[in-house]
Amino acid sequence: MSTGFSVNMTYIRRAFQRRRKEPSMAVHNNTWRDYALIFLPYVWMLIFFLLPFLIIFKISLSVTEIAIPPYSPLVTFEEGAMQIILHLENYTSIFTDPDGTYIRSYLKSLQVAAFSTVFCLLIGYPIAWALATSKPAVRNVLFMLVIMPSWTSLVVRIYAWMTIMKKDGLINDVLMALGIIDSPIQMLQTDFAVYVGIVYCYLPYMVLPLFSALMKVDYSLIEAAYDLGCRPVKTFFSTLVPQTKNGIIAGSMLVFIPALGEYVIPELLGGKSSILIGRILWQEFFNNRDWPLASAVAITMLVILIIPIMIFYKIERREQEKLYAGK
Amino acid sequence: MTTERAAAAQAAAEENTAAQQNQPVKQMHLPGQLPGQKPTPQQQNRKPILEIKHLTKQFEAFTAVNDVDLTLYQGEIFALLGSSGCGKSTLLRMLAGFETPTSGSILLDGRELIGVPPYKRPVNMMFQSYALFPYMTVKQNIAFGLKQSKLPKAQIEERVEKMLRLVHMEEYVDRKPYQLSGGQRQRVALARSLAKEPRVLLLDEPMGALDKKLREQMRLELVDIINSVGVTCLMVTHDQEEAMTMADRIAIMDKGEFLQIGGPREIYENPNCRFCAEFIGSVNIFDCHLITSNAAQSLIASKDFKNNIELTHDIDLADGMPLTIALRPEKIYISHEEPEEKTNWCEGTVENIAYLGDISIYYVRLIGGRIVCATLPNVDRFKTGLPTWDDHVYLSWDPESCIALTF
Amino acid sequence: MRVNKPAAARLVIIILTLVFLYLPIGTLIVYSFNESKMVTVWTEASLKWYGALVHDKAIIDAVGISLLIAVLTSCTAVVIGTLAAFVLVRVRSFKGESAFVLFMTAPMVLPEVITGLALLLLFVTLGNVIPFFSDRGVIAIWIAHVTFCSAYTTVVIRSRFRELDISIEEAAMDLGAGPIKVFFAIILPAIMPAEVAAFLLSFTMSMDDLVITSFIAGPDSTTLPMLIFSSVRRGLSPEINALATIIVAIVSVCTFFAWLSMTRKQKRMAADRAKAARAMLIEEKAVIEHRRLYKSKA
Repeated sequence: MSTGFSVNMTYIRRAFQRRRKEPSMAVHNNTWRDYALIFLPYVWMLIFFLLPFLIIFKISLSVTEIAIPPYSPLVTFEEGAMQIILHLENYTSIFTDPDGTYIRSYLKSLQVAAFSTVFCLLIGYPIAWALATSKPAVRNVLFMLVIMPSWTSLVVRIYAWMTIMKKDGLINDVLMALGIIDSPIQMLQTDFAVYVGIVYCYLPYMVLPLFSALMKVDYSLIEAAYDLGCRPVKTFFSTLVPQTKNGIIAGSMLVFIPALGEYVIPELLGGKSSILIGRILWQEFFNNRDWPLASAVAITMLVILIIPIMIFYKIERREQEKLYAGK
Repeated sequence: MTTERAAAAQAAAEENTAAQQNQPVKQMHLPGQLPGQKPTPQQQNRKPILEIKHLTKQFEAFTAVNDVDLTLYQGEIFALLGSSGCGKSTLLRMLAGFETPTSGSILLDGRELIGVPPYKRPVNMMFQSYALFPYMTVKQNIAFGLKQSKLPKAQIEERVEKMLRLVHMEEYVDRKPYQLSGGQRQRVALARSLAKEPRVLLLDEPMGALDKKLREQMRLELVDIINSVGVTCLMVTHDQEEAMTMADRIAIMDKGEFLQIGGPREIYENPNCRFCAEFIGSVNIFDCHLITSNAAQSLIASKDFKNNIELTHDIDLADGMPLTIALRPEKIYISHEEPEEKTNWCEGTVENIAYLGDISIYYVRLIGGRIVCATLPNVDRFKTGLPTWDDHVYLSWDPESCIALTF
Repeated sequence: MRVNKPAAARLVIIILTLVFLYLPIGTLIVYSFNESKMVTVWTEASLKWYGALVHDKAIIDAVGISLLIAVLTSCTAVVIGTLAAFVLVRVRSFKGESAFVLFMTAPMVLPEVITGLALLLLFVTLGNVIPFFSDRGVIAIWIAHVTFCSAYTTVVIRSRFRELDISIEEAAMDLGAGPIKVFFAIILPAIMPAEVAAFLLSFTMSMDDLVITSFIAGPDSTTLPMLIFSSVRRGLSPEINALATIIVAIVSVCTFFAWLSMTRKQKRMAADRAKAARAMLIEEKAVIEHRRLYKSKA
C-alpha cells in the first residue's frame, strides 16, 4: 500500500533523459533466467486463475444432475461417437424466469453497488483530503487509524453493526433518549443496513487511492485558481477533481466491482428485499446444489463486470507507466 | 591537505612542460602536435590495454553503437563525449557487461570480454548515481567487492584502509551513504570501484550527480586520485568542460559513431568536421567555396563578406567546391580601423554586446546581414577605446585561426 | 481572531470519521465484558465469556486451522509476489505480459463469490484426474488463498521494487557478486519492509477470508471466519464479542508496532539528512578554500 510520494520535477526530467539515453531500459534482452522467474507466478495464475474460469464456463453449459459431480458431462460417448451437448437452458432461465428473480437481483445488485460507490466517494473524498493535508506526524497516526478496522475480521465488523442497529441497540437507544423517535425503528434487515455495511467495509478501499492521488496534487494550482478569481466549488471541480481523476476511478472500481457480488453483508444485514446476485449464486450453489445455474449466474456477472474491470486495469497500467517515467 | 594537492598539481604541471620540451618543435596546426598538448599514448610508448573492434549494438530497429573501434592505452584517461542518446552509455555498459553487443569484440589484455558476465570482468564502474549500497556503511561498501573475491580478512582490512586514505574519508568509515554529502558519496564510490584494482575504471557521468559549484573542485581531485593510482580510465560525459579538464584523450560521439578522437586541444583547435566544431565551444560557421589551392596557400570565397579568406596550407579539394570555414569567436580581432591586408577580414556594425565581466561577446552584423560572434577581453590595452553599440568595426583574423571543414 | 476554516473542517471530518469507524467496534468491546447473555443490555462487568471462549473446542480448532493456513499462505504468497514483482519491474516486455498483469490485478477486485466458485469447480474437475485435489482440506484452501493473496503481495512488493535504483544491483554485480548473491545481499534487504508488509497483509486476508473458503472447504476444515459467520447467523452471542475483542486487540497491537517502526524510520531519516547537511557545510568550506587556492594561482 503506497503512502503517497512527492514528485520531484528534476527527478522526472533526469529520468526522461536516462530513458532516452539508455534504450536498454525499455528494451531488455530476456534470458532463460528471466523466463525461469516468470514461470512460477505465471503458471500458478494460469492454473488457479484462468483455468477455473474456463471450467465455470464449461459447467454453465451443462445441466444439473443428481450425481457426483452434480452436473451432466459436456462431452459424452454414445455408440462410439463423440457428442458435445451445449445446454443454454441456464442462461435462458436467467433471463426468462417467470418471477424475474435473477433479472431483479442483478438490477438490485447494480443499484446497491452504484449507490454504495457514490456514498463511499462522497464520504471518502473529504476523509482522504483531511488525511493528505494533515501534518506528517498526525497523518501517519490517522492513516493507521483509518486502515486498521479493515485488518480486523469482516464478519466481526458486520457483527458489530448488527449489535448497534438492533431494535434495542445503541442507535435506537440514543435516538429515543434524545427524543427524536418515540419507538425503535427497524434498521436491520433493510437496504439501509446493507448500505451502511458496504460503506463501512469498503471505505478504506476508496480512501487509499484517493489519498495517494491527493498527496500528489499540485496545491499551487488551487491557489492559482483562487488568485484568478475562481470560486471554491468551481475551483474544486476545475483543479482537484481532474488531478485526482485516476484516484477517483480506481477507488470507485475497487468499491463497485466487489460490492456487486457481495454476499456476507446483505446476508447478515439485509432483509428479504435485498436479494443480491451474490446471495442468489450462493443459494443456487449451496442450497439448491444447482452448479450449472450457479456457474451461469457467475458468468453473467463476469460479463457485467468486464467493463469496470477493464477500466480498473487500464488505470492501474497508466499509473504504472507514470511511475516508470517518474523513477 | 590543500597544500599537498597544490604540490601535486605543481608536479603534474612540471611533468607536463617536461614532456613538451622533449618534443621537437614542429609546424603548428597539424593534428596532435599543438603546443600545450600532452603527447599521445603512442608517442609515450604506452601499452594498449583495451581494444574494441567493430563493436555494434542494436536495439531492435535502433542502432545505439555502430561499428566502433577504439584502443585504450595503459594509464590514460579517456573520455567519451556526446549528447544524450549518442550511444556513449551503451558503449560503457557493454564494457561493464550490462549489455551484450550485437557484434564485434572487446579485448582486455588480449582476452575476449564478450560472454564474460559482469561479475567476472576485471573492470569496475563508478555509477552516475554512485549506486552506493544504502544499507551498508562506507567501510562495508568499499569492502564489498573485495569480499566477493574471497580475499583474507586482514588483506581486506588493509586495502579498505588504503582506499579510505586515498579518498580522504578516514573519518567517515561508519557512516551510511544517506549521511554523506554529494562529494563524499562520490569519493566513496570511487574508492569502492578502485578497491578491486580494476584493469580499467569506468566512470559514468562522474560529475552528473554533483552540485555545479562542487564539480570544478572534484574534477581535479578525481584526476589526482586516478593518476596517483595509475589506473586506466574510460569516462562518459556530456559536459565538454569536464571532458577537457579531466581527459588525456577525447572521443566525440554522435549517433553511435566516433567522429573524432584526440587530445582536448586538438579537438578544440582542429575539429575534423562541422559537428565537432559546433559541439565543442562556440564557433562561427561560414559557407564558402574554394577558389584556388596550392601547397603554400588556399583562397576561399565566402558568401557573407566580400574579402576572401586566405589559408597558409593546402586544401585537398577541387577548385570551386563548397566547404565550410569555422572561426572561434576568441580568435577574431575587432578594430575601428580598416586592416591593410586584402584578405581575412570583413566589416559590420556592433549589434549587441553581452558583458560577462572578464570578456564581452560582440555580435557584429556584417553588411550582408549575417551576424558574427567575437569575444574581446575587457581590457583596453592600447587605449584605443573598446567598440560599443552601433560602431562600425572591422573583424580580422590570422590565417591559422580558420578551420577548413570539408564535411 | 479568524477561524482557520480548512483546519476546522479537517478536525470535524476526522472526528466524524473516527466515530463512524470505531463506534461499532467500541460497543463490541464494551459488551464483551458484560455478564448478561444479552448483547445489548449491560448488567455487570465480567470475564466469563472469555473463559467460555477458551473452553470452546470448536473455536480453538478453527483458530488453529486458520493460523496454519494463514502462515502457509503468507509465506507462499510473498514468494510468488516477489517473483511476480521482479518480473513486472525488471523483465519488461515479455510475451503475454499484459495477460500477466491482468491475472495479477483481477483477483483484487473480482467478487469473492466468483473466485470461490471458480476455484471450487477447478478442484472438483482436477479431483477427477488427480484424487489429491478432491480432498478439500487445508491444502486446497491454502492454494485458493495464495491465488488471491498473491495479487496483493505483488502490488505491495512491486511498488517498493520500482523505487529501487537498478544501478545499485549493477554495481554489486560489477564488484563481483553473482545474480543470487545480488538478490540476497542487495535486493532483499532493500525490499524487506515491503516483504513484511506483504506478509502481514496476506496473513490478515487469509485469516479473514470467508466466502472463498466457504466454497472450498470440506466439512472437516472449518476456519475461524466460517465459525463466526455461522454462529452470527444463528444470533448474537457475547462469546463472539469476546472473540472479536481479542482479534481487535491483536490487530491494534500490531498496528501500533507498525506505526512505531514507521515513526522511528522517519526520525532516523531526518537524523541522516541532518548529518548529510553538516557534511555538506564542511564541503562548501572546502570549495571556497579550493577556489581561493586556484584563483590565486591563475
